[in-house]
Amino acid sequence: MMRLTRPVQRKALAHLLRVSGLLFVVGALATLRPAPPRVVMGPPHTVQTVNPTVCVHTRLTDEVEEWKIQRTLQMVREMGAATIVEFFPWPYAERERGSYDWAHADRIIQHAENQGLTVIARLGLVPAWARPPVHEKVTTLTYLPADHFDDFARYVGAFVARYGDRIGGVIIWNEPNLSYEWGDRSPDPAAYTELLRLSYQAAHAVNPNIVVLGGALAPTNEPEGSGSGMNEVRFLERMYEAGAAPYFDALAAHTYGFTHAPADPPDPQTINFRRVELLRAVMVRYGDGAKPITITESGWSDDPRWTRAVRPGQRIAYTLAALDMATAWPWADHLCLWQFRQPSDFHNRRDAYYALVSSDFFAKPIYEAVQAYARGWENPYAP
Amino acid sequence: MSHWIARAPSLLRDCRRRARRHPRLALAALLVIAAALAAWRLTQPGAPFGPQDSTWRRVQINGDLYVGLDPSYPPFAEWTPEQIVGIEADLAREIGRRLGVETHILIMGYDSLYDALYTGNVDMLIAGLHPDSTLTHWVYYSQPYFDAGQVLVSPREEPVSDMRALDGKSVAVEVASSGDAAARRWARRLRALTIERHLLPQDAMRAVEEGQAAAALVDTVSARLYLPAHPRLVMAAETTVAEPYVIAMRRGDFRLTAHVERALKAIKADGALDEIIAHWLSG
Repeated sequence: MMRLTRPVQRKALAHLLRVSGLLFVVGALATLRPAPPRVVMGPPHTVQTVNPTVCVHTRLTDEVEEWKIQRTLQMVREMGAATIVEFFPWPYAERERGSYDWAHADRIIQHAENQGLTVIARLGLVPAWARPPVHEKVTTLTYLPADHFDDFARYVGAFVARYGDRIGGVIIWNEPNLSYEWGDRSPDPAAYTELLRLSYQAAHAVNPNIVVLGGALAPTNEPEGSGSGMNEVRFLERMYEAGAAPYFDALAAHTYGFTHAPADPPDPQTINFRRVELLRAVMVRYGDGAKPITITESGWSDDPRWTRAVRPGQRIAYTLAALDMATAWPWADHLCLWQFRQPSDFHNRRDAYYALVSSDFFAKPIYEAVQAYARGWENPYAP
Repeated sequence: MSHWIARAPSLLRDCRRRARRHPRLALAALLVIAAALAAWRLTQPGAPFGPQDSTWRRVQINGDLYVGLDPSYPPFAEWTPEQIVGIEADLAREIGRRLGVETHILIMGYDSLYDALYTGNVDMLIAGLHPDSTLTHWVYYSQPYFDAGQVLVSPREEPVSDMRALDGKSVAVEVASSGDAAARRWARRLRALTIERHLLPQDAMRAVEEGQAAAALVDTVSARLYLPAHPRLVMAAETTVAEPYVIAMRRGDFRLTAHVERALKAIKADGALDEIIAHWLSG
């Protein structure tokens, strides 16, 4: 057995202590994290714009970091868009029935106000407690049973009571004419009309001046009875037949150009930008022509690997032409571009190429072009 | 550092002296070091106690290779009624042939590609992917099989292969493209560079043919599709702005990645890859 002399033992112990100390320091340093950026609201701003029609749909729903919310809204303001559409999911606010948590919504509304932006709030999704238990029925987040319509309306009322004087309106549900957005069920215009009625009454009960936007209909050619969706023009007709007219102050509409130029004429068989005129025609036919249409989603994609996309220059030209057209339409109050930015471009390529700003806040040429348009500057990307 | 290098001879002498004084302690230290080295070597990937490449083992035993592909990107991958066709489909089948296994192409949306690789539904992805530095902890990216970046197109009589040669001249670009952004950067570096913006890459190349610009900086795919019908133009051999397409595999599949790299190298060396690309991008 090897025996160590006392001086060697002492030296070994000293080395051991030094190494242990070093490891402790390294371990402690490894656990250190930089403090999150401190967000200061700063002085209130106003939007500099020559065209109040310009609007953009933001995606702050899943944005965790406050500085990113602020930066997003700063860039929207700098772009010259005075209005945004933002999604406020019901499950985020009312995770437990009757108990509201407005922290996330408060943060967005406060930052938007500070940047001088008007928020049009899109309300939707369903908390788990308002859906059937999973052992009874597997449902999606957009599945709202009819016996919980009044619960959703109560959420609308609570939202309007809290923010009604500070926002530009509330959109009741999203794309109810698509099965995907209607709980993977066949779209039901009569049921949606009932949801709209209850929501409208709840909103106006707490704030008679609130603008309730109905519809938010998606463009689709799916015929009635399809498992995927229902043609939005037919859906709107069915809404009127179900008595929806008194229960919305404006129609929210989605209109996409895909590969078509914005000037292409409206056609019931084609999904293009001017297809929204078909919705307008239905409104006029049902004596509702005095109501405005808010285009809450629109745009072109420049994804180089999507057959329904256009080239970047075409995207700019088409977008600016569409803004010109919407500005000239007396019945359209806003054209909101889908979309400003998403938290991560990596997980949704399709939306990444609709965005005006990358997830790391790089302003794409389309952003600069829309900014020049909204602020009355020369288009830096004029061909 | 230089201090320690200067002291190295004296430290060695000191070690020798201590080793002579405590021979058993020195022997024990050597044994510990040798054991640590052996343990490290034996636990390396592929070593008896290290991680094994079960994917490569399965590929060899079953004779199949599963490749994930997004068929929405012609001419790289397209879903026809008969089969999946395009550059990436042909490359996937050629790699399988070189490995001596049958290629099975699984189609999926772009956003599902990495999930399918992560969960083991596919062995590799050939889908116009660029190396993503945020994924390299588990994804291995191969050498590029195609560069889809921005390339200079110029008249055959006055070929331009470098942006520096355009000093004092004009370059045509597709407006708002990455070629446009690159040209703007070069405009700051050169004494004089005029940028002519066109709506489409074809318009930019036409401007060169008509003598309105000395060269066009456009994406490689557009250039390769345009040039066969326009023999007066020529494309530079190297891209000005690279955009490499690579194959993605799981980093843990170290034997598969090595074999695929070898196969890809051979496919490039014997001209098979050029043939595949020329077949689909011949205009």
